[in-house]
Amino acid sequence: MKPKVSILSLVAACAATSVWAADPDDAAFRDAFLSGNADWAAVEARAAEEGGVNIYYWGGNDLLNIWMDRVVAPAMAEKGVTLNPVRITGTKDAVDLVLAEKHSGKGIGQGSVDMIWINGENFATLKRQDALFGSFAQSLPNSVNLEWDESDPRAMLNVRDFGVPNDSAEVPWSGEQYVCAVNSARVADEDVPSTFAELKSYLEANPGKFTYVKPPHYLGNTFVQEAVYAHNPDGTGATPFQQSVDDIAPEELARLIAPGIEYLQSIEPNLLDAAGGSPRYPEDNKALDGLFLNGEIDFSCKFGLYAVAKGLEIGTYPEAAKQFVFPENTMIKNKNYLVIPGNAPNSAAALVLANWMASVDSQVSKLESVGMPSGIDGWKLSAEDAERIVNASPGLIGVTQAELDANAAPDTNATLVDVIEATWLEVIERDSTASIEEVVATAYANLGK
Amino acid sequence: MTARERRTRILQMLQLIPILSVLVILFGGALVMALLQSLGFAPWFGINTFPDFSYFGSLWGSQTFWVSLWLTLYYATVSTLLALVFGTMLALALIKAFPGKWLYKYLYKLPLMIPYTVGIALAVIMLSSGGVLSRIVAFAGLIDDPGQFPQILKTHYGWGIIAVYVWKQTPFITLAVYAVLLGIGRETEEAAAILGARRGAIFFRVTLPQILPGIVSSTLICFAFNVGAFEAPFILGGGFPDTLPVVAWRYFNDADYTLQLQGMATVVSIGIVAGVILFAYLWVYRRYERRMGRH
Repeated sequence: MKPKVSILSLVAACAATSVWAADPDDAAFRDAFLSGNADWAAVEARAAEEGGVNIYYWGGNDLLNIWMDRVVAPAMAEKGVTLNPVRITGTKDAVDLVLAEKHSGKGIGQGSVDMIWINGENFATLKRQDALFGSFAQSLPNSVNLEWDESDPRAMLNVRDFGVPNDSAEVPWSGEQYVCAVNSARVADEDVPSTFAELKSYLEANPGKFTYVKPPHYLGNTFVQEAVYAHNPDGTGATPFQQSVDDIAPEELARLIAPGIEYLQSIEPNLLDAAGGSPRYPEDNKALDGLFLNGEIDFSCKFGLYAVAKGLEIGTYPEAAKQFVFPENTMIKNKNYLVIPGNAPNSAAALVLANWMASVDSQVSKLESVGMPSGIDGWKLSAEDAERIVNASPGLIGVTQAELDANAAPDTNATLVDVIEATWLEVIERDSTASIEEVVATAYANLGK
Repeated sequence: MTARERRTRILQMLQLIPILSVLVILFGGALVMALLQSLGFAPWFGINTFPDFSYFGSLWGSQTFWVSLWLTLYYATVSTLLALVFGTMLALALIKAFPGKWLYKYLYKLPLMIPYTVGIALAVIMLSSGGVLSRIVAFAGLIDDPGQFPQILKTHYGWGIIAVYVWKQTPFITLAVYAVLLGIGRETEEAAAILGARRGAIFFRVTLPQILPGIVSSTLICFAFNVGAFEAPFILGGGFPDTLPVVAWRYFNDADYTLQLQGMATVVSIGIVAGVILFAYLWVYRRYERRMGRH
């Protein structure tokens, strides 16, 4: 009977732990740094004392993995910090780990994750679960490379993550835009769509030659959001979707997203493999790239400003691939970030790493080696540094930066993403017979649970 | 109890402790936590409505759950049966002498040493619509582009999943049956043959009852694995509706944390279904054994 008792007491202990336990030394350091009472030299000294830093990030990009090992690790070693890159298949794994450790009583300084590459719903979860280190980003020396003045609309990408105020608890690392690529060996220039209506007529003429990543993967969610923006019945595009779920009634949201969802339903019979019974949605980035490279689909849409340039270089894109503007006016643009969890065991080392990642040198090197767009803001840099960033970029193929900027749209609020994604799953995947309004109402009810 | 008996008893307990502690603490603990979560206990996500049967209610109440259950059982049963037929045939063949047998005895065990994921990757490389076969056919000019190759993977018929399971589990069943065959020797079969029984009769009336313990134990393991396995149906399956382990994974992997409890309810459901089927299978087998006069 004894084991049973111990399990029960374990469960009871889990239930009781909702406040942070803390390592007093780490807690003191955190309070001192966040209140501005720790100078940077002291932070670096403490980082060298800690000796290591565990960064958890999506390990599906070989170029990034190599860059971490060959560039970031030596740079950190110079500061006396050993980089431990933990490559995970999904960012949620790291978030799960932080929350699991938190709930098992590992508080400030006692966890195992020092830094996560993150954005969107995963950040919103950490924030909601109160598992963040705190507002550190603006206290980093290299934060001068970023725009923080909220009177400048361009600062929104630094202070809001999927519409959720991030309170500087994460530092921008890379900026991205959702761009589609076409295999121009298979599609004539005049047939390349620039609106959803043109995509639909292309698919009617060429059934099966397109698909998008399956929601709830963020690459799929983003495609759905763009369709929803473009079909917004009020013609206000992304604007109403910046509100949080608490500020918009379910009936209103249902009305706004219905035309977009109905559009996606209408193209379903002409998506990849739909002729064989059910359309095929790839599970992730890799699967999508594979379909595009194999010529199974003619267009591939994902976050990847430089995906084509880099893909051609390493052979993961078909030779005739080029980018195009699609959909007009609603190409979602956002940033991704580096966050420090509240129970990071090496928080000083994490701060040093975060600061290094926000430097011009590291951003230039990341652009050159990985093709990941710069996360710092060009207009905050010296003319010389700004030019280094521009020169390091692998380049756009088939579109200009001006066209991308002109068609940019903001991301959907993270809380609405959950609802829109649930609606897609219910209406498109499960072919629910319920009306979109009912589905949205159910999704709202589930959120409140 | 004498001192000697007590010592033996203590020694026996010591031998049992390692496996018992793993089972009770790790497995039992996980089971209890899964059950609690599926009933609404997850205070670390700010959810605690224990005991709350709504997760099971909404799961079992949806039609797609039953479709998923059917798919799970269909893939598991068909692959186990195919592997059983092939495995038994192979074992019966191996017991006899034939040229090259020494090589064949090593060759057939190869899939046992290769992980499932590699088998799945092989299936993707060979059989997918962008795979080696489709490219060869397209190169030969039989189809215009590799995309037109008939779809083998990613359909709800599950050819890919079944192929990988059968490929991997045939040698496993062969190994189990072959070991039993070696143990029983060939005397009874020979006696039956001398008494004039035909080959079919020898197999079903003499050999099969004797190898049944090997068949039951190996198919039990294969079936249990197939019901709970995730990778093959995830990578080679036809998408929605998915098998139950994939459904559970989708709930877990969703950035929406409230769905994790629904995922736990799915996992517990898989456990219940697999448990019921396996116990029923064993019960039927035991009854048969008893009727045969074996214990």
